Amino acid sequence: MSQLILFNVFNGLIVGAFYALMALGLSLILNLSGVINFAHGGFLAIGGYLAFTLIPYIGFWGALIVAPVLTAFIGLLVERVLIRRLYGRDPLYSLLLTFGLAFMIEDGTRFIWGAQSLPFQVPGWLVSPLSSEYFFLTGYRLFMVLIVAATVTGLFLILGYTRLGIRIRAGTLDLETVSVLGVNVRILRNLNFGLGIYLAGLAGVLAAGMLGLQPTVGSSLIMPSFVAIIVGGLGSLPGTLLGGLLIGVASGLTTVFFPSATEAVMYVMMAAVLLVRPRGLLGEEGRF
Amino acid sequence: MGGPELNKQIPNVVVWLLLLSLPYWMPLVHGYTELGIRVVVLGLAAMALNFLLGYTGVLSFGHAAYFGLGAYGVGMTIRYLVPSTGIGIIVGTIVGTIAAAIIGPLIIRLRGVYFAMVTIAFGQVFYFITFRWNSVTGGDDGLTGWSRQPLNFGFATVDILHNTRAFYFFVLAVFAVAVAVMAWLLRSPFGRTLIAIRENERRARFLGIPVDQHIWISWMISCCFVSLAGALYALLNNFVDPRALYWTQSGDFVIMAVLGGMRSFWGPLIGAAIFVVLEDYLSSQTQNWMSFVGLFFVLVVLFFPRGVLGIVRRKLSP
Amino acid sequence: MSMLKVENLTKHFGSLVAVNDVSIDVEQGELRAVIGPNGAGKTTFFNMISGFLTQTSGRIVFDGEDISNVAPAQRVWRGIARTFQITEVFPELTVRENLRVPVEVAAGYRLSPWMSKDADGEIGARVVDLMTMSGLAGKADRLVGELSHGDQRATEIMMALALKPRLLLLDEPTAGMGDQETYDITQLIRKLHKDQNLTIVLIEHDMRVVFHLANRIMVLAEGATLAVGTPQEIAANEAVQAAYLGKAAA
Repeated sequence: MSQLILFNVFNGLIVGAFYALMALGLSLILNLSGVINFAHGGFLAIGGYLAFTLIPYIGFWGALIVAPVLTAFIGLLVERVLIRRLYGRDPLYSLLLTFGLAFMIEDGTRFIWGAQSLPFQVPGWLVSPLSSEYFFLTGYRLFMVLIVAATVTGLFLILGYTRLGIRIRAGTLDLETVSVLGVNVRILRNLNFGLGIYLAGLAGVLAAGMLGLQPTVGSSLIMPSFVAIIVGGLGSLPGTLLGGLLIGVASGLTTVFFPSATEAVMYVMMAAVLLVRPRGLLGEEGRF
Repeated sequence: MGGPELNKQIPNVVVWLLLLSLPYWMPLVHGYTELGIRVVVLGLAAMALNFLLGYTGVLSFGHAAYFGLGAYGVGMTIRYLVPSTGIGIIVGTIVGTIAAAIIGPLIIRLRGVYFAMVTIAFGQVFYFITFRWNSVTGGDDGLTGWSRQPLNFGFATVDILHNTRAFYFFVLAVFAVAVAVMAWLLRSPFGRTLIAIRENERRARFLGIPVDQHIWISWMISCCFVSLAGALYALLNNFVDPRALYWTQSGDFVIMAVLGGMRSFWGPLIGAAIFVVLEDYLSSQTQNWMSFVGLFFVLVVLFFPRGVLGIVRRKLSP
Repeated sequence: MSMLKVENLTKHFGSLVAVNDVSIDVEQGELRAVIGPNGAGKTTFFNMISGFLTQTSGRIVFDGEDISNVAPAQRVWRGIARTFQITEVFPELTVRENLRVPVEVAAGYRLSPWMSKDADGEIGARVVDLMTMSGLAGKADRLVGELSHGDQRATEIMMALALKPRLLLLDEPTAGMGDQETYDITQLIRKLHKDQNLTIVLIEHDMRVVFHLANRIMVLAEGATLAVGTPQEIAANEAVQAAYLGKAAA
């Protein structure tokens, strides 16, 4: 029993790390530009499928590096051509636009790569269990957690210490002032969008390694990311990270005791948080 | 009644004439009556959403949940409880409204994109319940084994199952009552407080309107009518599955409202008509209709943000 | 008895102390001006009285009752109405519709789905009264968003008045206005104060307006009370001159 619980907690952490990675990207875009990117799941799928296509040429490791970057470039382009036009307008419109994009991407991936689930090859040594007692502790799962941890650390370092990061954070607090200080807000938002999409692309490659690939992979992961943001606190990136991990673990534990509620438990958590603390666990006052 | 008052009635007269005569002209334009019913039902859903979106200024992206609850409410009532279309509709509407009332206090303090996010996320709870609770809801396969029952008025019984035209007029009658109630509410002092909130929430609050409370009520009214629409939708199909509650369905309602024109009463109905006809056409023409629907969303946002009626009104005003 | 009694009100924003231990005592029928340099905490002070912000500490007593933790809308029901520094109206509604909302709220119809013909007539008449009083009657069916700044401000003041308040809080009623508009608004405030014996507290930068209207003046500087007194006393107060009037003159 305790092994089962441990297994599911660990599993939950992995899933939660995933949610967090995706939610962090969403959060970045939401905080700076006020856009909920419904197409985020779509970008995740693009990341996964690009990696799938690239692996025969540059191998898993190459794809892990290149696919998210390519995805981010697509993101930059989409921001430039479409999303940019909607800043400052009723958030309704960016919601609808990204919603439509999500449809197009899902259908597009189905068109290009087919509706069937595709196998995704990761290096063999990564897949084998590390110990016979803890069979669930495969190298790949551990590897995923490490990659997510490194990426999140990297993200917070970028935000904390680089010029771009500091500007993004300042813009999140007060875009007008940042603009007056001579920062090009258009470029800032563009790069910030790209950064968010990079995270989605990376999550896509990692997800493909664990879940395989199908066109709906994105739309099934986007709701938990929303919940992670709400639970963690609107406007707070550490909150989003915390939220993602929490709902992951909670889902994992629920799988042990009440499997049919696995998906629902995170929404119950969200309800509880909204009831007790509407701004979320680490959310700032007055941000919504 | 003066000239301007009379002019205001013209759209109402046109809409009702078109709707009342629909089964007679629909075949002439290669349509079929079921398509007309879909338009009326989804139009009701979009108008119900617009009560909140266009007239209270609150962005809900989770209305499919209550639409779906209305649908399951009627299906399960007829399947498990009483074989009565009327009671089924009432149960479905009540179920959806109660769910909305419970969710209300959790969301009414939020605004804008956050309201949208939380409503859509909560909608998923109901989706998963219908999806997972196999034994009762039929799970992913949907709820089958039931169909709409004849209407029994005491003096006469109307078969709405096989007589599509009779079912159309039944749906239209329900639609008429729902729409009349919404119109009447919007012209009442309460309705004016909602418009005040849409126009300027801060001002409304400091005119002594407890904004959260009013949004909650508006939310419940909106969800009540969307559940009603969901109940009618299930009756139309004699079937309901979890997709009726999925978040993409919510997006469809929003695009209908925007496409037709959020600031006009009939706008969402027009949006629903365009959307339903287009979807019907696309799904018969191409496998990739989802891409086209997505593209349609993008084009509407970029080129018709004020909707069809918004554009018409602009052209008319000097 | 005083109508509004504020005791030791303090507001912190993080480490910033916006309002520090400010008290005020406003009598029934008084017109009190609150002045002070930018950033003195005037608007924050107002926002706490109206319930827009919650105080960090201190107490607000209105009509003998502690309202420190009462919701904004309920403060309105008790008789406190306010306007904002940046005019807050319903821009896409007509003047008539703008005024109708507060009249209906004040008459207890806010939740009502229905209204009798008689009640409807009475409400309409009251709206017309308010428009006539402020010279807006000729623009009754114009959208407020299309009106001049002065007319928008007048609409906002009449909306507050439509609530039949006992205490009216005006946040810089003449901000951003030309001479003629400033004069008109000043006359309107004066009329409301005289004719209806309304208690008014206003924040104002224009000293002509302040000295023309106020019975008493409170001066805030850096979040704290600098002086309280009649216009003459304030004009003569050296600390005030040093901190505020001098700076304004320079």
